[in-house]
Amino acid sequence: MAEFLQALAQGLLIGSTYGLLALGMGLVYGVSGVVNFSHGDFISLGMFLCLGLYSALALDPYVSLIITVPLMTVIGGLVYWYLLRPMVGHQFLMVVQLTLGLSLVLQNGILMVFGGQPARTPSVVESKLLILGDVVVRVPHVIAFVVSFAMAIGLYIMLRSTDFGRSIRAVHQNAHAAALMGVDVSRVQTLTFALGIGILAIAAALLLPGTPIQPAQGLRYTVITLIVVALGGMTNFVGIMLGGLIIGLSEAYGTIYLSDTLGMLLPYGIFVLIMLFRPQGLTWSSSR
Amino acid sequence: MLEVDHLVTGYGGVPVLHDVSLTLSAGEIVGLLGANNAGKTTLINSLSGMYAPMSGRIRFEGQDVTAMTPKQRVEIGIIQVPEGRLVFPEMSVRENLLLGGINARARAHRPRQMDHVLELFPRLQERLGQNAGTLSGGEQQMLAIGRALMAEAKLLMLDEPSLGLSPLFVQYIFGIIDRLHAEGLSILLIEQNLNLTLRHAQRCYVLERGKVAVEGASDVVKDDPRTRRAYLGL
Repeated sequence: MAEFLQALAQGLLIGSTYGLLALGMGLVYGVSGVVNFSHGDFISLGMFLCLGLYSALALDPYVSLIITVPLMTVIGGLVYWYLLRPMVGHQFLMVVQLTLGLSLVLQNGILMVFGGQPARTPSVVESKLLILGDVVVRVPHVIAFVVSFAMAIGLYIMLRSTDFGRSIRAVHQNAHAAALMGVDVSRVQTLTFALGIGILAIAAALLLPGTPIQPAQGLRYTVITLIVVALGGMTNFVGIMLGGLIIGLSEAYGTIYLSDTLGMLLPYGIFVLIMLFRPQGLTWSSSR
Repeated sequence: MLEVDHLVTGYGGVPVLHDVSLTLSAGEIVGLLGANNAGKTTLINSLSGMYAPMSGRIRFEGQDVTAMTPKQRVEIGIIQVPEGRLVFPEMSVRENLLLGGINARARAHRPRQMDHVLELFPRLQERLGQNAGTLSGGEQQMLAIGRALMAEAKLLMLDEPSLGLSPLFVQYIFGIIDRLHAEGLSILLIEQNLNLTLRHAQRCYVLERGKVAVEGASDVVKDDPRTRRAYLGL
């Protein structure tokens, strides 16, 4: 029982951050139809930026956010404006190709700067534990959970009740009509991509404490994110957060009840099963 | 107010509009008629800036707008109500209206404009919190016009407002168009419905295969044998 609760806590805590990773991808897909295969490598970039800031200035990853969030947001904006924008809407495969290429550039760029050996970025809260009865949770996971859900709620409110949020939704629902009402569609797409990459900078810092990092890890995060987005129904907020929790839980249960390697396979197995029986994703509204 | 000079527009190098010239004075209601594929929607989208013309010029209130982006044209008051209404289905009626007034010129006056639109369309008031996708076709047309009014249109361009509506709603919508005209709005009315348009517009242009075939006062256009011919594609 203790084991079960332990896995439940860990799965929920980590899963919330997976949900956050996927919200960024879902938003970008929603407004520009771009599936970003370098998503995980941008998470890597966020993590290694934190490592760099720790090595150079001894900054805690949570403090590094002051620098990494604006920096990655600007990088995201530039990447969309100069690389993706000219191709969006013409050739879906070219866009996929481009983001895959970007993934290799990022991965090898990181490899060049930081080397290939696994590294860690310490944080003051890294080894702090929270003990609730039989369940022991790590404080960084609790922080990740709280921040991820706060971000998700913040994004939801932004989409509902600000002009920028409404223009994001308008471009998603009908880009032509949005343009006719004076929405600058390219600008909204660029800002959304920048926002998505900025969110990754936050997610990177949340995942970082206690996690060894290495340059080739990007693909794993890309795949997890894609799975969560597909589970949630691409643009459905609640569905995506739910998908994140499911993947987090299956990873946690798999690692505890099965072997380490087999446990890492469980999320993919569950994904295939869900897609077999619910190809439209977890929630109804995506099929509307 | 609007002068279109020898406009040529097309897709992929193939012209759809050949040398179209058209004028519209302030406060005027002008009809643009034509069969399917005559180029009406291409023309209205060129006026909205969705396509760059291959040649020719568009002037609005004395200003050359040919090179302006769609956004800039909205900001000077050229607003389109698109064919098929194209409301944002998963946004509420209220959000659709707020989005209509998102351009820099209209944003500050949104509460006042919203009152005006809701007074014009009391039905929208009842549906304010409802998703636009759940409205009937006629209600969506009201919303699409309301959304365009929120943008503080100086020139309102309506693309087939009667399309797919019941006769009762068509009558209602044309009543609204007459009222907006009486309030001083300049209107470009694109329609397939010949008699309806001839009755409501002061002047008409008839497009045939991307060219202006007939133009003039509505009763003159009505009696011109070329009108029916262009219309029937004979």
